[in-house]
Amino acid sequence: MIDGKIWSREETFEREEFERIQLERLKKTVERVYQNVPYYKDKLKEAGIEPGDIKTLGDLASIPFTEKDDFRKNYPFGLFASPRKEIVRFHASSGTTGKPTVVGYTKKDMDIWSELIARIVTMAGVTDEDTAQIAFGYGLFTGAFGLHQGLEKVGAAVIPMSSGNTQKQIMIMQDFGTTALICTPSYALHMAEVAREMGVDPKKDLKLKWGLFGGEGSTEGMRNEINERWGLFATENYGMSELMGPGVSGECKALRGMHISEDHFIPEIIDPNTGKVLGEGETGELVITTITKEALPILRYRTKDITSLHYEKCDCGRTTVRMSKIQGRSDDMLILGGVNVFPSQIEDVLLGIEGIGPHYQIKVFKKGYLDKIEVDVELVDADLLDSFALLERLNDKIRNQLRTVLGIEAKVNLVEPRSLARFEGKAKRVIDMREVK
Amino acid sequence: MLIKQLSIFIPNKKGSLSELTDILIAHNIDIRAIAVFDTAEFGILRIVVDDPDSALDILNREGVVAKVSKVIAVEPEDRPGSLNQIFTILKNADINIDYVYSFIMRKKEMPYIVIKADQQEKAVEELTAHGINVINKEEIYSK
Repeated sequence: MIDGKIWSREETFEREEFERIQLERLKKTVERVYQNVPYYKDKLKEAGIEPGDIKTLGDLASIPFTEKDDFRKNYPFGLFASPRKEIVRFHASSGTTGKPTVVGYTKKDMDIWSELIARIVTMAGVTDEDTAQIAFGYGLFTGAFGLHQGLEKVGAAVIPMSSGNTQKQIMIMQDFGTTALICTPSYALHMAEVAREMGVDPKKDLKLKWGLFGGEGSTEGMRNEINERWGLFATENYGMSELMGPGVSGECKALRGMHISEDHFIPEIIDPNTGKVLGEGETGELVITTITKEALPILRYRTKDITSLHYEKCDCGRTTVRMSKIQGRSDDMLILGGVNVFPSQIEDVLLGIEGIGPHYQIKVFKKGYLDKIEVDVELVDADLLDSFALLERLNDKIRNQLRTVLGIEAKVNLVEPRSLARFEGKAKRVIDMREVK
Repeated sequence: MLIKQLSIFIPNKKGSLSELTDILIAHNIDIRAIAVFDTAEFGILRIVVDDPDSALDILNREGVVAKVSKVIAVEPEDRPGSLNQIFTILKNADINIDYVYSFIMRKKEMPYIVIKADQQEKAVEELTAHGINVINKEEIYSK
């Protein structure tokens, strides 16, 4: 048995209790979107579903999926189920076409968000004795503000550092006696490097106990390295802005997967190709239905994250279902230093530039602990061979556009035409060399 | 009086040059002059061959990015200061030189040099007017 506080009673409900609450709240959510979101009403009608048709949790499987594209079609507020007057916060994440995915929260949504973050930070070890340094970027992304309010709720002293300025991060850690670090796992590793260069020995000079990492996936190898370098206990947490932000699930100290707050979310695992619901323990795509959200209730959201669900009671005493570490994605989204990028976005940029071919190869790797990206493109315009200046201008143009449109710093390699691989069927244009451990 | 050169894109990887020369050898194309201009990322190979038009066809068919463009071939006298003389003529005529490279020299042959200038026709006129031997294409390709 793992000791440690459990934030709320709901985390230890019996299965029947969860199912009772889930059904009741699912019915309300379907009713809410049917009445308030024309897009959902049409979608449900098209599938032949009236709110009254939801009689058991099994009926959830008859509801159509929601996808990232539905957010795009309804940009910015089309999926909102609350009037503007009731919205108290907006956030946004990067979208596939340059337009971000906009999410909104009512006062009640904010309260629930804080509550769910309080649960995950508590299960990760944080209490009101802790000083928590948030090194996620503060802004439209949900990471920093999400963790912030939940950490305050449990009574931790929050340092809203934001990301970057790594030397200052280390100095504040040392001077304020930070005990909990909140950031992406890759930034944690990068900071450890910087600390070492500064002559700071985390184990001797710092008081870190807990590390709460999210915003991108990580491997067990990374976790071990973070634990080793910082001398802390690392846990991972999961969420996405479309569903709420961080706080959908988090690891407890037993490290047996991430507990999903089932009184607020209904998770399912589907076969990403057929959409068929899979059973307990089977690996597939995570689909989540939010059942308490007011501003932006989402039915059966396809997260594209590949995982599995495990229902047996955890060593920590919680009964909430656990999702295993994310094993990959069913689409080709890349997370580069916390920024979501789809290869199709890179393709759009490349297609708009003259002188190069439509084929490309993206290589992602780690330099130190930071993500680096290289894009190979085929030169086709022989006229550019008249001078180096022309070729270099082309190179700069591609780099600048990738930076402006996607916010990524990529190295561009011009290669010979027909030298990049051609694909029949689904193209494999991304070589991700980051997962070395 | 201009002659044709081939500009060829070469990726910065091992074996790029030999792959190209393999293609040319296989088609009996003879290289008369060669120069490589490169950066860390890529290079441009410039060559003068005996049959530039069919060389371009062959290279394009092999998937090589190549372009035919015109340059000037001149024959400096074999004495000190002759290159200086050529460059001075061009400077005085307000002509910029983009790049210069020289021919592969063989026994008893004079060392031709290849010049790419911003105003090529004018450059040829100036050079000829100053008594510099500008080589015509027949002389080059038939060697």
